[in-house]
Amino acid sequence: MSADLRTSLCGIDLEHPLVNGSGTLDALVAGTLGLAAFVTKTVTLEPRAGNPPVRIAETPAGMVNSIGLANPGLDRFCEEHLPRLTELGVPLVVSVGGWSREQYAIAVSRIGAVPGVAAIELNVSCPNVDTGCISIGTDAAETRALLERCRAETDVPLLAKLSPSVADVSAIALAAAEGGAHGLVLINTVRGMAIDRDTLRPLLGGGGGGLSGPAVRPVALHAVYHSYAATGLPIVGMGGVASAQDCLELMAAGACVVGLGTALFRDPALPGRILAELLALLADHGFSGVEGVTGASQNLDSKAPPELERSER
Amino acid sequence: MSLADPARPLAVDRVEAVGAYTLLVLRNDGSDVGRPGQFFMLSAWPEPADAYLPRALSAAWADEREIAFLVDVRGAGTRALVDAASVEVRGPLGTGFAIADRPALLVGGGIGAAILPWLARELPQPPRALLGFRSEAHAVCAALVSDEPTVVLDPVLVTEPLARLLPFDGVVYACGPDPMLHAVAALCAEHDVECQVAMEAAMACGYGACYGCAVQIDGVWKRLCVEGPVLEAERILA
Repeated sequence: MSADLRTSLCGIDLEHPLVNGSGTLDALVAGTLGLAAFVTKTVTLEPRAGNPPVRIAETPAGMVNSIGLANPGLDRFCEEHLPRLTELGVPLVVSVGGWSREQYAIAVSRIGAVPGVAAIELNVSCPNVDTGCISIGTDAAETRALLERCRAETDVPLLAKLSPSVADVSAIALAAAEGGAHGLVLINTVRGMAIDRDTLRPLLGGGGGGLSGPAVRPVALHAVYHSYAATGLPIVGMGGVASAQDCLELMAAGACVVGLGTALFRDPALPGRILAELLALLADHGFSGVEGVTGASQNLDSKAPPELERSER
Repeated sequence: MSLADPARPLAVDRVEAVGAYTLLVLRNDGSDVGRPGQFFMLSAWPEPADAYLPRALSAAWADEREIAFLVDVRGAGTRALVDAASVEVRGPLGTGFAIADRPALLVGGGIGAAILPWLARELPQPPRALLGFRSEAHAVCAALVSDEPTVVLDPVLVTEPLARLLPFDGVVYACGPDPMLHAVAALCAEHDVECQVAMEAAMACGYGACYGCAVQIDGVWKRLCVEGPVLEAERILA
């Protein structure tokens, strides 16, 4: 089965196209759940306690989270976590975040030098911090400059994780590509909020939060479609994926690898189920493997809705 | 139990009102149920349209034949559970009570009493039980915990009878809202009495993935599903 589902991401061979979204799995606690690669929770230079509770709120077809980049900091991560993460048996993608180009560069330099790190994700899209991070990823020039700065620090593939909470995600994607990104990861959560139904105050400890789950799937499709069209870069697509059909559609939009997140919370056995269904689904559509699917929706010009394209311009 | 195993669909055996709460009894398929204080992630079937996440609940009692949950129906998710045709169950997860061969004092507040009947049955000798509720209707479930519980009603706090009983030569096992647990933990620490607390937090995953259930443990925010839900009381006082 795995032969047909094999794919690759920026030169990293993968058994199949399913990975986790950053911050949606702790492989040192739960294992890798059959995923083809493991993406770490975002690590920052300094330790972060994260936001105070309440941290999660259920919403229609999803949830809003306000975790706040809780992580042990770069030193402890490199000393205590990284040695065990490189032994997981699947390619390791380390996600890094920061408040300045320099902070990202320090983390990229150190992590990129560790054998067993397959790629580094630059999280420029976390909605749960006040400054840095998403304020870089919502600015095309900042994003380009960040990529240029980090490329100078490592030869390990760099993936830019982008937010859909911008006017034109494809412009940010293009800036990342111009800066030297090897690939893109999108989407991060969509900025959202929950109000306590009794007190009528903001429910989440961080005030606002990030929306995930099936509610954001169309947002992910749109962002992946246009970012792929703009850059042609390999894309790890994610956002509300919960089935093989969701995977196929996100790949048709432009993803070559698909990330699972909120659906894993509901069901850690999901990867196995999706993979079994994905094989059959690929055959139904006449694909011999997953690699031919990427961007398939974009090759069928006649099926593109021209009036929609016009209205978006 | 492996996380990669599918959740087990268990048929609903019966649903009964217990005062203000609802008892949901599932027919177990013989699977391991762990021990009192551990929890399960429960998803109603058919899937409710208005509740996306599973619910984390510890059992009122459980064995190879049945798993019972005392549910405080508050919203769409808990409503869906007690109305379900079957419930998909993942678990047992997290830590349970460390049962000591010593006299036991159970302290429960509100729906926190829900997990004490099983603990009471597993203890080597019948425990004393101090239970606090907000109304008579909520207190009906006290009979599930003990034949002779000490029950206090709002505005009396369960720490009042507890303070009169301390020091106690045994172990205090407590479950209830955070302020109650902190007060119980502090009283026990003051009298040098061993205490275990079962805490509550909303969880999206129950297996350490979402970081949503952080509570103050050892003085910092930690995931309750990984560290607990049952903790040595000193760990919440730091």
